[in-house]
Amino acid sequence: MSTVTVAARPSVGERAKAAGVAAIPYILAVLVAFVVVAIIIALLGHDPAKAFRAVLTNSFRNRTGMVQTLHKWVPLTLLALAFAIPLGAGRFNIGGEGQMILGATGAVAMGILLSDLPTVVLLPLLIVAGVAAGALWAGISAWLMQQFKVNEILSTVLLNFVSFEILDYLASVVWSDPGAGGAVTTAIGAGGELPRIGKPPMHIGVILVALLAIAAAFYARRSVAGFELRAVGLNERAAKLHGIRTGKVAVMSMIVAGALAGLAGAIEVAGVHHRMLEGIQSNFLILGIIIGLIARGSLTAVPFVAFGIAVLEVGAGSMQRTSGAPVEMVLILEGLILLFLLMSDWVTDQLRLRASRKAAA
Amino acid sequence: MSDFITLTITAMVPFLFVAQGTMLSGRAGIFNVSQEGLMLLGAAIGYLVSLKWGGNLVGLLVAALAGAAFGAILGWATTYLRMDQFVVGLALFFLSGGTASLLYRVVIGADEPPRIRPLPDIVFGQDVLVFVAIGLSALLWWWLYRTDSGMRLRSVGENPKAADSLGINVTRTRMLAASLGGGLMAVGGAYLPMAFSGVYADGIVAGRGWLAIALAFFGGWRPQLILAGSLFFAAMDVLAQRAQVSGIGIPHQFVSMLPYVATLLVMIFAFRWALVPQFLGKNYDRESRITG
Repeated sequence: MSTVTVAARPSVGERAKAAGVAAIPYILAVLVAFVVVAIIIALLGHDPAKAFRAVLTNSFRNRTGMVQTLHKWVPLTLLALAFAIPLGAGRFNIGGEGQMILGATGAVAMGILLSDLPTVVLLPLLIVAGVAAGALWAGISAWLMQQFKVNEILSTVLLNFVSFEILDYLASVVWSDPGAGGAVTTAIGAGGELPRIGKPPMHIGVILVALLAIAAAFYARRSVAGFELRAVGLNERAAKLHGIRTGKVAVMSMIVAGALAGLAGAIEVAGVHHRMLEGIQSNFLILGIIIGLIARGSLTAVPFVAFGIAVLEVGAGSMQRTSGAPVEMVLILEGLILLFLLMSDWVTDQLRLRASRKAAA
Repeated sequence: MSDFITLTITAMVPFLFVAQGTMLSGRAGIFNVSQEGLMLLGAAIGYLVSLKWGGNLVGLLVAALAGAAFGAILGWATTYLRMDQFVVGLALFFLSGGTASLLYRVVIGADEPPRIRPLPDIVFGQDVLVFVAIGLSALLWWWLYRTDSGMRLRSVGENPKAADSLGINVTRTRMLAASLGGGLMAVGGAYLPMAFSGVYADGIVAGRGWLAIALAFFGGWRPQLILAGSLFFAAMDVLAQRAQVSGIGIPHQFVSMLPYVATLLVMIFAFRWALVPQFLGKNYDRESRITG
């Protein structure tokens, strides 16, 4: 079996080489997924080259595409972090959309009830309310998990459904906008809107989330809390024996996740819609999970993977318009990238096993 | 009132198929989380095959086979490759969901979809699958609790190492349970266009797959309690629709919340009832020396 050696800190060159080797399965998984999807598109009688050109260039052709992509990147990054952080502690948070809806609810409540306040007061209030509501919602699942051993997958999924009903009730009864047709609330006060910059206007939530993502990545790597999180995820028993309060770490990871998803809801309200509406959660939960899994729980990788997925999602419509390949191909592409990446784990394990057997023989 | 009962029983059928499929896989230790996607796939295949290649029965069969194939992939990836059950399940959820929309888009396109014939009623204004679903629940109970092979299957979900040491083939049992479970999930999805809408739509499943997981927990992974739970979920569903249309004094959204809140309460207060298979979601490595 393996011997334990205390290695010297690897040099920059060695670390770059290791990173390069680690990137090979990613590149292969993405390539193979693209090839498979190209074959399907070709079998359907469309031109794969044209389809891929449309899907990949739409975000970069003009500034509108870029702003669209970045606006999509914000909730994707936040929901992916909301999945990846509890995943670090070996917990599965499938409640991102519920936490996001509660975040939107908290934000829209402030924005409607206190609509007269000026921006300096209302905007921070709105964001804080969203974050707190999301954290609280995830806190319920965390509490049930810790106190009653209720499976967190189950409780987060169930609370998603409860949140849909809350949204429906608020948007179609309590703060309903009768002129809108459908479950839509009235608009929040002007003071609650996130400032927009540039042309076409981009809301500053993008900058906020970029800073947050950098901070999260550093915090996860350098802080005690980040270390404890990883320790619990890798081996909960060992972590416990070394004095880490594993229960507390798991609960905190869920609450932080809820806060991030809640922030996503608040930003969608304050930056994009300026109101709450049915379907505000879009498919961000699913995509957040895909991103979190493709990034393999690495908080550093999440924003980059999220950007790639945002490009695909924004380009999907353009692909269908120009090449005729249906938008569903994008979901299949994302699913395949994930599946091939998972398969690559097994392949690398087998190769390593074979190499070690050869070395032993 | 009799109208209410009829509607409730019809609404129960998809829950029942999918939750029993979840239970069956789970009792062998395979925690499938791709229900939502498998139901969508079942709905798309059931609809398309019924429409184009002969009748509802063929549609149901092909849907079941497709679901079983996806279930088998989950079984293979988690037994032979020992990949994380939950992660593979989610990947399959995305793939089966995407495949469902794609199949529909390719065959029907953007045209107005033709309606398929609904399943014919046989007695009491209920179609044949109602009786199949209830009979299946009874059959599963009998199999799992009254036969040797059923006990072996359960032992694989409770303690695969002990089962293995008694000569039970853990891998084969899990493959079988995962495939059968996947097939049932797809049948539950295929029932939707055949009994309710007549057409396929991307939103047709509407969270029922996730609820089926909740139902499996709600029923303590036992077929008879899952039957009761499905009836309760379906009754609340119908009640909420009724509240939405005619109004019963309380907002329909709160009626809709009830099954979810009830499930959470059951999980909290019914410890003894809400048993979970010991090795649910955990892979078995016969070379590992750490016992679960």
